Amino acid sequence: MSKAIESKLLTEYYDDPHYMSFEGYTKRKGYEVLKKAFKMKPEEIVAEVKASGLRGRGGAGFPTGVKWGFLPKNDKKRFLLCNADEGEPGTFKDRMMMEKAPHQLIEGMIISAYAVNAHKSYIYIRGEYTDCLRIVKEAIDEAYAKGLLGKNILGSGFDHDMDVYSGAGAYICGEETGMISSLEGLKGQPKLKPPFPAIQGYLKFPTIVNNVETLAAVIPIIEKGADFYKSLGTEKSTGTKLFSVSGDVVQPGNYEVELGTPLMDLIELCGGLKPGRSLKAVIPGGSSAPVLTADECVDATMDYENLSAKGSMLGSGAVIVIDDSHSMVDLLTVIMHFYHHESCGQCTPCREGTGWLEKLVKGILKGSGRVEDLDLILRVANNMKGRTICALSDAAALPALSFVEKFRLEFEQHIRTQSPVRERETTSHA
Amino acid sequence: MLKCNINGVDLEVPEGTKLIEAFLKAEQKIAHYCWHPGLSVAGVCRLCMCEIEGNPRLQIACNTEVQEGMVASNQSEKVKETVRWGMDFHLINHPLDCPICDQAGECGLQEQYMEYGQYTPSMAHAKVKKRKVVSLGSKVVLDSERCILCSRCVRFTDEVTKTHELGIFNRGDKSEIGTFHDKPLENKYAVNTVDICPVGALTSKEFRFKQRVWYLKDEKTVCPGCSTGCSVKVYHNQEGLFRVKPEYDAEVNEHWMCDEGRGVFDWVNRQNRQSYSVNAENMEKPSSSELKLILTAQQTVEEYESLFEYLKSSNKKVEVYYWKNNPDKFDDFDNLLIRGDKNPNTKGLLETAVKHDITLNPFSGFDGFESFEGDIWFILPENKAVYPLYEQYVEKALKLENNLTIFAVPKVKVDKTKKNISILPLKTYFEKDGHFLNFNGLKRQLKPGPLQVSSALALNEWVSFVKSDDFGDQVDLLSKRKSEGFRKKNEMTQTGGGL
Ligand SMILES: Cc1cc2nc3c(=O)[nH]c(=O)nc-3n(C[C@H](O)[C@H](O)[C@H](O)COP(=O)(O)O)c2cc1C
Ligand code: SF4
Ligand code: SF4
Ligand code: SF4
Ligand code: FES
Repeated sequence: MSKAIESKLLTEYYDDPHYMSFEGYTKRKGYEVLKKAFKMKPEEIVAEVKASGLRGRGGAGFPTGVKWGFLPKNDKKRFLLCNADEGEPGTFKDRMMMEKAPHQLIEGMIISAYAVNAHKSYIYIRGEYTDCLRIVKEAIDEAYAKGLLGKNILGSGFDHDMDVYSGAGAYICGEETGMISSLEGLKGQPKLKPPFPAIQGYLKFPTIVNNVETLAAVIPIIEKGADFYKSLGTEKSTGTKLFSVSGDVVQPGNYEVELGTPLMDLIELCGGLKPGRSLKAVIPGGSSAPVLTADECVDATMDYENLSAKGSMLGSGAVIVIDDSHSMVDLLTVIMHFYHHESCGQCTPCREGTGWLEKLVKGILKGSGRVEDLDLILRVANNMKGRTICALSDAAALPALSFVEKFRLEFEQHIRTQSPVRERETTSHA
Repeated sequence: MLKCNINGVDLEVPEGTKLIEAFLKAEQKIAHYCWHPGLSVAGVCRLCMCEIEGNPRLQIACNTEVQEGMVASNQSEKVKETVRWGMDFHLINHPLDCPICDQAGECGLQEQYMEYGQYTPSMAHAKVKKRKVVSLGSKVVLDSERCILCSRCVRFTDEVTKTHELGIFNRGDKSEIGTFHDKPLENKYAVNTVDICPVGALTSKEFRFKQRVWYLKDEKTVCPGCSTGCSVKVYHNQEGLFRVKPEYDAEVNEHWMCDEGRGVFDWVNRQNRQSYSVNAENMEKPSSSELKLILTAQQTVEEYESLFEYLKSSNKKVEVYYWKNNPDKFDDFDNLLIRGDKNPNTKGLLETAVKHDITLNPFSGFDGFESFEGDIWFILPENKAVYPLYEQYVEKALKLENNLTIFAVPKVKVDKTKKNISILPLKTYFEKDGHFLNFNGLKRQLKPGPLQVSSALALNEWVSFVKSDDFGDQVDLLSKRKSEGFRKKNEMTQTGGGL
C-alpha cells in the first residue's frame, strides 16, 4: 500500500523542522486564515464550523459547532479551554501537534475564541508533556511579541489572552469538568452535570472545552470552507483525523487520513503486521473503546458511525493493533490496572468497581481465577456503566465487557491451564 | 408550585425542589447516602437512582430539579437491581466490624442493606485496608475502612462551619478522609460530622463505647446551653443521660447544634445532683415579712409565672435580684448558632417580670445584704459552668445568718449544724414541663423525660408546696417517690437469651 491514502490537511508541513517556529509557520501561510477569520463575523465562523460537520476529536465526538452554540447568547465573560491532557492510553497525536506546530494550535484557538467571543483561553497540558509545555509557552510568547495575542489583535479590535497550565499527570483531568476543577486549583475531579460547562464552567463562567486537534481543524474549515471540509470523510464523519497507531505494526506512529478509511488500509499504511504474525484484535479508539476481533476488523472503517455500529467507538483515534503473540488476559489486566489507578474515587460504582475488576482479572492472570469470575466481571462491568458522574466508569467497563465477551474461550482456557488445582476444587464442590 | 408524579403519587412541590425531596414528600422510599438536606449536592453515592419519563438513562434524584409535570419512579426491577448493586459497591470493601462498631443499631449501611440490598455477595477477594482509629481532633475519631466517602463531613466543614479542616485525600479506592497536617478538626460544631456520617466512620470520643444505642431512649426537648435554644434529642436510659443530638428545627437550628450544647446533659445525671432536701421543715415556720430573692434566666416561663404570682400575692416586702453571668457578652453571636447569653430563657424572664410588674435588680454579690435581716431565696442556675462567680457566691451565701432557702440542681455542701439554711432540690430542663423563649422570642416547649432525682421539683411545684398548708407531708411523700425504670444494659442476653 502506498502512502497515497494519507490526507494531510493538518499535518501537511509537519516534516518541516522550522514549522514549529513563528517564522517557519508564517512562511507556510501561517496566521493567514486568522486574517480571513477576522473579516468574518463570529457567528459566521460558528455557522461554518457547524456546517462543516466537525466533531470533537477528544473522544466523545460531539459536533463542535453545536457545542459552541450552547453558549449563552450575550457578551458576558466566557472561557475557551484547550484540552491537551491526552491521557487516553494509546493516544499521542496532540503531543506531536504541539511539538511540531504549536502556532497552528494557537491560530486555531484565536479563531475559535473569536468565534465564541472568549477573551481568555488556557491550554491544559498533560503533566508528563514537559517539552510540549515549553514549546507551547515559547510559541505563545512569540505570538504576543508579534501582536497575535493581547489587545486588538491585527487591528481587528478583538482582544485575547492565552496561557498554559500544566496538569500533574492524572488521566481524570482530561475529562472536561475534571480539567476545569484542576484549573480552578481544586482536586482534579469531574463535576456533576448539569450544569454543563457551556452554561457554568471554569470559575462558574460559560466555558468551551475542545481538544487540540479539534481546535486546529478549525483552520482548514475557515480557509477552505465547510463544503470542502465536508467533501472529505463520510457523511457523518467529515474531514480528516489523526490516528495514533501503536502495537504490533511495523511502523507505529501518527497518520492523518480521511475519516472512513478502512481499518485494514490504515494498518497497511503503518507497514502492516510484523512478519509472520496474524491479526488477533484491534482497539480502535483508545483503551476505553471496546475491542474488535480480527473478523470484525475486516470491514471496519475508521469513522464514528461504522465503529459505533460495531459496538465500539472512534474515541480519540488511538488504534492499538494486537497480533497473535499477545494474551488477551494479560492485556485486559494492564487496562484494568490503569482504570483502577486513575478513578478519581468520587462515585462509588467506579471507585469500588474499578478495583474489583482489576482484582478479578489479575486473579485470572495469576492463576487463582475461577470460571464463574468471567460472569462476575460482566455483571460488575454492566453495573458500572452509565451510573456515574463521568464516563471513566464506562471506560473501564467497556473493555472488560468486550474482552471477556469476545475472547471468552481464551479466558476460560487461561483459567483452566493456569489453575488446574483450583479447578478441581471448584468442580468437586459443585 | 409544580405538579409531579412520584411512583404514581400526585403531588405539588415548590419550584427548585430536588426530585429526592419530592420522593420523600410523597413518602416514597429512596436509597441515599451522600444527599443531606442541609448540604450541597455531591451526587457521588449513586444510590438515589430513578427513572424519569422521557429520559432513557437512569438519573440520580438528588441532582435533578423537579420540572412541571415530571413523572418519576424507582419501582422497576431495573432501578432496584441498580440500587442493589450500588449497595454492593458500598459494601465490598467494608469491614465486618458491626459487632465492635459504635454505629451499629443506627447505621445507614445496616438499614439500607436491609431495605434495598439483601443479595448474595459475590466479592471473594481481599478487601482494601485503610487506617483505623485515627484521631481527627479532640472530639472525633475516624475509621477509614468504614467510610463510604459520601463527603458529607467534608461538605459540612466547607459549607456550614467554613473551617475547611477535612478533605478527601488520594484517589480511587485509596481515597481517605483526613485533615491537613497542622489543622485538626477543632471547631465548635465538629461533632455534627458524627451525626451526619451515615456509617460508623466518624464516632464521638465522648460517646463511643459508652452505650449500645439500642439501650437508649430519646426525648425531644430544647438545649438550655444558650439563648439560641436549639431543638435537640436527649438520649438516656436507666443509667442516666448519654448524649444530645440536634433535632431539625427550621426556625432555630436547622440540622445542627454546637458541641458545647452536647455536653450540657452531665449536670442532669444523678451523681452531680442535689438529691435530697435539707431542713425542708424551715419552709413551714412563719418567717420574716421581708424577702430577697435571687434568680437567673435558666428557669422556665411557667416557673417564673408561678413564682412572681406568689410574690405578688404574698403580703411580703419582696426584692428580686437578677443574676446575669456575663452581661458584656450577652449580644455576642458567632453567626451560626452560638450566642454569648448562656441562659436559655432571658427573654422569658424579662417578659414575665414585666407582665407581673416585678422589678429586676441587678445582682452583684451579697455586699449590701449585711443589714438585711429578712428571708433570702437563692435560685441557683442549673448550668453553673457558665457562671464564673458561682462557687464564690454560693460560699458567701452559706455564711449568711438569714433564713436562707437555696433551690438547687447541683450539689450544695452545707454544714448540717446550720439550721437557718434549707436546700430544696430542683428539676432540670430534662425533667420538667414548661417553655423557654429564645433570644428572638420563639417559644420552645420542654418535654419531661424520666426523673433522675426523685425528690426534685420544678420551681412552680415548690411554690405550690409553699402555698399549701401541708408542706411537710408533701415533702415526706416526695422522698418516697421512685425514679422510672428502663431495660438494663445487656438485660436481654443476661436473662432472656442466656450466654
Ligand atoms: C475519563 C476521561 C478522560 C478524557 N481525557 C481526555 C483527554 O485526555 N483529552 C481530550 O481531549 N479529551 C478527553 N476526554 C474528553 C473530554 O471530556 C471532552 O469531551 C473533550 O475534551 C471535548 O473536546 P472535543 O469536543 O474537542 O473532543 C476525556 C473524557 C473522559 C471521560
Ligand atoms: S466515574 Fe469515576 S472517575 Fe468519573 S467522577 Fe466518578 S469516580 Fe471519578
Ligand atoms: S459502619 Fe455500619 S455496617 Fe459498618 S461496621 Fe459499623 S455498623 Fe456495621
Ligand atoms: S467519614 Fe462519614 S461522613 Fe465523612 S465521607 Fe466518610 S462516610 Fe461520609
Ligand atoms: S444521594 Fe443522590 S447520589 Fe448520593
